[in-house]
Amino acid sequence: MTPPRSHSDAGAGSNGRPSKRSKAGKNGSANGSSRFYGMPLPGVRTEDLSGSLIVVEGTDGSGRSTQISLLTEWLEGEGFAVETMGLRRSFLVGEDIDALLAENAVTRTTLALMYSTDFFDQLERRILPALRSGLIVLADRYIFTLIARAAVRGIGRDYLHGIYDIALRPDLTFWLNVRPEVAFDREFNKSQTISYWESGRDMSLSNDLFQSFIRYQSMIKREFEYLSKRHGFIELDGEANVSKVNGVLRKRIASQLGIRSTTYKPSHALAHLWR
Amino acid sequence: MATVTPEISIAENPLPERAAAAKRAYPGALVVVEGIDGSGKSTQLHLLKRWLEIGGYRIHFTEWNSSPLVKSATRRGKQRRLLTPTTFSMLHAADFADRCERQILPLLHGGYLVLADRYVYTAFARDAARGCSPHWLRNLYSFAPVPDITFYFRAPLDVAVNRIVAGRPKLKYYEAGMDLGISLDRAESFRIFQEKILNHYDQMVDTDHFVLMDGTVRVNKLQKLMRQLLVERVDLKQFAPKKK
Repeated sequence: MTPPRSHSDAGAGSNGRPSKRSKAGKNGSANGSSRFYGMPLPGVRTEDLSGSLIVVEGTDGSGRSTQISLLTEWLEGEGFAVETMGLRRSFLVGEDIDALLAENAVTRTTLALMYSTDFFDQLERRILPALRSGLIVLADRYIFTLIARAAVRGIGRDYLHGIYDIALRPDLTFWLNVRPEVAFDREFNKSQTISYWESGRDMSLSNDLFQSFIRYQSMIKREFEYLSKRHGFIELDGEANVSKVNGVLRKRIASQLGIRSTTYKPSHALAHLWR
Repeated sequence: MATVTPEISIAENPLPERAAAAKRAYPGALVVVEGIDGSGKSTQLHLLKRWLEIGGYRIHFTEWNSSPLVKSATRRGKQRRLLTPTTFSMLHAADFADRCERQILPLLHGGYLVLADRYVYTAFARDAARGCSPHWLRNLYSFAPVPDITFYFRAPLDVAVNRIVAGRPKLKYYEAGMDLGISLDRAESFRIFQEKILNHYDQMVDTDHFVLMDGTVRVNKLQKLMRQLLVERVDLKQFAPKKK
């Protein structure tokens, strides 16, 4: 393992404050290997990754997906081409993971490794080509959720960091932090129930679903607090208004990409998200 | 019969290394065979299994096959050639993890003698030949219990390759290492890929305390030796049928 470095070679220092430096400055300073945590992926050329990787992390109910939708629209409006990635979206194993989750027969290491296969398939076959073409990649969760979920199930953190050592280091990582109680309210209002995995029921924490959810999400949150320090997340208050959170996100991303104006009003199609 | 290379003669095998076994947290034992395709390992393990079955020992045989949970993904990845060295390796690790957590570990804790046709060393050799970092691979598989004895069957490259090429109508894409772009000729690619794998195996003989077995020795003679070595290294009495 390599020690954690400052979060981005580009715009932001490890303190998470925006910097005036533009995209051009970044490409000048980035050498091949610094875009990875440790050793780079085998057989991957990294020198020509001209796009940016922006990660939004947070539990279900943190407003993550809403923000990704809004950011996509905003960036495209600014003329940037956007590619997205997320969990279980790989062509290789995305559907297989859905099937595994439905069955309950899967054990923790197998599941963790299926998720990492899913991650690397997206990274190698979709995300790296997109970054080479200069696209902005918005990641709806990244390695951090995968590490946190496996770590609370007792898989060693060093083991997990060892696996993701060959992953690409994001240019910006935002963490939408919400209290488990708030996440519960939002998730319950959305789907009228709480999912088996989001409440960590495989861990036998409590037979009471609410208690199980709160305990599980609290464990995940503690892992994120640790990861946030280690990887220099930009922590945002996920309980604030959608428009307010979006404003902060846009400001940081704008400074990263050298976008001057950050005014944005969602289109009619997305207006319902704007609260 | 081909000549035996001096460094792989059976007589020169290092003494058993039991340090790993001493740390075991289970009453079972794990016996592994490794080696490139065509080295004779599966034949020998099959014969060993027969002998133990006849003796009524508490054994279980497991092989490097897709577990049902991961099978469809592996098949899709191979058929459509979607796999990179990294995803090839990860998917096989997921597959192995399933077998390990749901089969091998429970059996070891339940006091079985587990016979494994190929183990993590297959991944170490094959995936390193594909360009994955050996260090990364060791970490990836670090959840796997260390075998009590690993028989490494070694046959000269030509002998092994000819055994496979002769018996198989067509080598599969990944099996032949076609993804590495070594050669457009499958047989040629297979040969070079196997040679790389063989080199990685050879490097593990000392570090992983392999027991070298000469794959060119006559089958029944080699089996006799294998049984003898097993008796020396593993306390078979623990797995013997219980007396009434």
